[in-house]
Amino acid sequence: MKKDLMDILACPICKGDLVLNITKEDEKEIISGTLYCSKCNEYYPITDGIPNMLPPELRE
Amino acid sequence: MVTITYRDADIELDENVYDPAEDSYLLADVAIDVAQDGMSVLEVGAGTGFVSAVLQANVGVDLVATEISPFAAECAKRNGVVVIRADMFGCFKSGTKFDLILFNPPYLPTAEDEKIPGWLNYAFDGGVDGREAVNRFLEEVTPYLSNGGIILMLISSLTGMDEVKMRMRKQGLEVEICNIDRDCFFEELMVLKGTLKASEQL
Repeated sequence: MKKDLMDILACPICKGDLVLNITKEDEKEIISGTLYCSKCNEYYPITDGIPNMLPPELRE
Repeated sequence: MVTITYRDADIELDENVYDPAEDSYLLADVAIDVAQDGMSVLEVGAGTGFVSAVLQANVGVDLVATEISPFAAECAKRNGVVVIRADMFGCFKSGTKFDLILFNPPYLPTAEDEKIPGWLNYAFDGGVDGREAVNRFLEEVTPYLSNGGIILMLISSLTGMDEVKMRMRKQGLEVEICNIDRDCFFEELMVLKGTLKASEQL
């Protein structure tokens, strides 16, 4: 995902702001990392460039 | 690996994802007609990414898509679509606005015993009356539309068009029928265009 997606993404549970943590990126985008909501204490993973913003009960 | 080409876009398919069919082509065609350069666009439930990829190949829009299935999200990304795994609008900050929102919903009336296991069920299961996803979409969409923003939603005659149009009006949308495809053998497909009246802006 590109960093500018942070402008529109929110925690799907509380709609609060997220903290971006990058573990891998290339010149184009973030490949892996997490988006963290401190209010809900929930991590949303970024895998293969795709942020997974599903609430925990809807994930695989 | 199967790849299809349509209106200057090459789209890679995936065996775990619903293949583009008449409904997808119809929505993509209408989206190209309605979209203008510079518009911010959201596609809800991108599937393979067909509609978004075709639109991006033809109009200079700024597009993101949501998709619930991991297979479809990966497929849409491979097709050059900026995709977020999310349930409809769940991932967006309040105040996020789009000029155009596209939705090819799961619209087939589906009984409990007709459901299939796995993510593919999301591609067609519209609940018992076929309008479960449509109704939820319409209840949630207007705060994400910019002033005068437009939704384009694919509907089948099996889904109950009059009920859908009524719900759109209830949400403050002006409704137009954009296109009807009568060539499908068991249903009629059409794209409903809903434009948010300025006074309904939330």
